Amino acid sequence: MKNYLKLVNFEFNRIAKLFAVLLGVTFVIQIVGVIVQSRYYLSMANELIYEGMLSKVKFLENYGHMSLSQIVISMWFLVPILLCVAAVGFYIFLIWYRDWVGKNTFIYRLLMLPTTRLNIFFAKITTILIMTLGLVASQLIMLPIETLVMKSIVPKEFIMDITLNQIVISMPELRFIFPNSPIELVIFYGAGVLAVSIVFTAILMERSFKWRGIFAGLIYSAVAVGLTILPLLLNVIVFNGFFYTIELFVLEIIMGLLVLAGSILTCRFLLMKKITV
Amino acid sequence: MIEVKAVEKKFGRKKILKGVSFTANKGEITCLIGINGVGKTTILNAIMALTPFNKGQILIDGEPINKNSFEKITFIPDTITMLPHMKIAEAMEFMDDFYTCWNQERATELLGFFRLDPNDRIASLSKGNAAKVNLLLGLALDVDYVLMDEPFSGIDMFSREDIANVFTSHLIENRGVIITTHEVGDIEHLIDKVVLLDEGKVTKEFSAEEERENEGKSVIDVMREVYQR
Repeated sequence: MKNYLKLVNFEFNRIAKLFAVLLGVTFVIQIVGVIVQSRYYLSMANELIYEGMLSKVKFLENYGHMSLSQIVISMWFLVPILLCVAAVGFYIFLIWYRDWVGKNTFIYRLLMLPTTRLNIFFAKITTILIMTLGLVASQLIMLPIETLVMKSIVPKEFIMDITLNQIVISMPELRFIFPNSPIELVIFYGAGVLAVSIVFTAILMERSFKWRGIFAGLIYSAVAVGLTILPLLLNVIVFNGFFYTIELFVLEIIMGLLVLAGSILTCRFLLMKKITV
Repeated sequence: MIEVKAVEKKFGRKKILKGVSFTANKGEITCLIGINGVGKTTILNAIMALTPFNKGQILIDGEPINKNSFEKITFIPDTITMLPHMKIAEAMEFMDDFYTCWNQERATELLGFFRLDPNDRIASLSKGNAAKVNLLLGLALDVDYVLMDEPFSGIDMFSREDIANVFTSHLIENRGVIITTHEVGDIEHLIDKVVLLDEGKVTKEFSAEEERENEGKSVIDVMREVYQR
């Protein structure tokens, strides 16, 4: 356990700078977005109210109040969030391959540590999870700050006060990143961990068997995904909706856990018996 | 004792090791010699479970390698095993964090022995100094066995001398060493046992001292006989 925690700390420190840059870029782009959108709204209001002689009430009736929910659906928000998602997705691969490539083959050191090799797998998957949760948490912290920036630009009477939850709900495309309930959190992030474990297994297959490993990894991924969604498929194709939603949910959880356990055991076997530096 | 028993290894369809067997004892320097591609590094990797083998068995003090073995045996490959942005001091801290057998006193002594600056970053080191850092990280572990892969490869004469001096120092005493090298001349007088490899097999295994005394032949003489036939 101690070695696992040390490895997590070490793995996270390796990505800490990049992580900070990612957060910084996200924050800057979103703040610029808030300023640009707020100014645009303000100049439109000024133009229509003071030059177009439209009353404030009429303007608000036609164009609505300004709120952060209008901004979060713009590219100013989506692009940096998608950039973060892409960065995490890319790092899922890089977190392994960076230990093999280049002059400094750190994988030698990792595999020769006096600890179970499965700790390397757990440390890497934990780092990915910490990165993801860290980005989500930071985004949730950024939203109130961005609201303050918007309020400092747009006069109070034009602003609609909305809660953090309402802001999050107004981003339907990002529902998977910002779950609305603890159950959604478990489902979405559980599915995420499962997906990462499947990808890690495929990567370790490639690292163990090279070209043959790529095919084995692809087949493994397809089988693992197939098994995970098997209850849903059987319910639709074979049982014609026989199961209640809650039963399907439980079956999905069981299948997910079985596939996760299968991935972990496969990774353990590969790291102990088949891996090659 | 490290026992390598009838180990076979294939890369694709090509058989690299065809039943290699030898032993290496504690307190002895065993030198694996063979031309490029004969499988010397593969044997060391296989001993450390860094590459799988197809047949045979490798035992360290009678047991197959496991996580606890890494407190008993260390491998110094001919590639840097630490991250490029790390300072030497940070690499030492990393080792101290994970290995209970890390000997800080010896590490400090080795820093002085190799004249290394702990504030130097790994990426900025010359090939010779990088090899010395590798040796430092391996030899500062209080382990019974040390495996070294080509420690003299591609480095200047003075660094080679520094590294060769390690073999005559207390840093190696009482340990079992398996070394692969092309530069046999640098350590020929220190080698206890020689394992000559050719075409994936052990062609000759002999005591360097006995060969010198009984046959009047140096290790290099025997190498010439075997490889230039």
